[in-house]
Amino acid sequence: MNIFIPLLVGILIGYLFRTRDMRVDLDVPMSAVLLLMIFFLGVKVGKVSVSTGWLLGSSIVFAVLTIIGSVGVALFLGVRR
Amino acid sequence: MRFVLYVLAALLLGMTIGHFYAPDFGNLYELMLYALIFIIGIDLGMNFRASELRKLGKSALFLPAGTLVGSMLGGLVAALLLGINLRWGLAISAGCGWYSLTGPLIAQYSPVYGALGFLSNLTRELLTVLLYPSLSRRIPAEVAVTIGGATTMDTTLAIMTKFGGREVAVIAFVHGFVLTAVIPFLLPLILGL
Repeated sequence: MNIFIPLLVGILIGYLFRTRDMRVDLDVPMSAVLLLMIFFLGVKVGKVSVSTGWLLGSSIVFAVLTIIGSVGVALFLGVRR
Repeated sequence: MRFVLYVLAALLLGMTIGHFYAPDFGNLYELMLYALIFIIGIDLGMNFRASELRKLGKSALFLPAGTLVGSMLGGLVAALLLGINLRWGLAISAGCGWYSLTGPLIAQYSPVYGALGFLSNLTRELLTVLLYPSLSRRIPAEVAVTIGGATTMDTTLAIMTKFGGREVAVIAFVHGFVLTAVIPFLLPLILGL
């Protein structure tokens, strides 16, 4: 299924909630679904043989370089208040 | 912060069970992903207001655009350094700290790069919490907001408000808000390249 379908349907339903002044607390369902999904993601990853050291090291490289990139471009553009 | 520990525990438990028992859960993972995307959509539909963007003028769009472009440039460099296909590098970095969306979306194509997307973006969120207090004193506090990526509208907003001030809080919220609206559309496009 295309990822855009549930996204667009959700946006439409959310918009309808807003126009009808209905507030829905999404924290609990979102947290529950997220934890279940992360668990299933872990199961998928666990089935594949992958080096934990490579995974952790590469994660840090990506995190640091994406942060440097974001701050660097913002400084280059001279974004100010 | 406690929720991050739950997330890590869920990931480690899943990896352990997957490694030792290799159970077949069918398409439960995909169902959870679509449920999550659906809930994110409802959240966006309930909260997206164009008027909030107008309040901040051009910087409301320039700052998140800079964050996204810079993040993707950093991702390309990381992919080249690590010898990873550039498409994975772009996808991982386009998540801008939104680990709960990036990891699962990429995992549809590759579980290993899904895990890398998840952990990289989780690490970015943790580094934001650790680095923002000192970085906001060395460079303009509103520019330092960019390190948080999409997380600046929720999980890292408190730390930015505390160390950047109330004015930065508004900028941080809108910054994260714009990225949160863009990333769910951008990531599938990159993965479809």
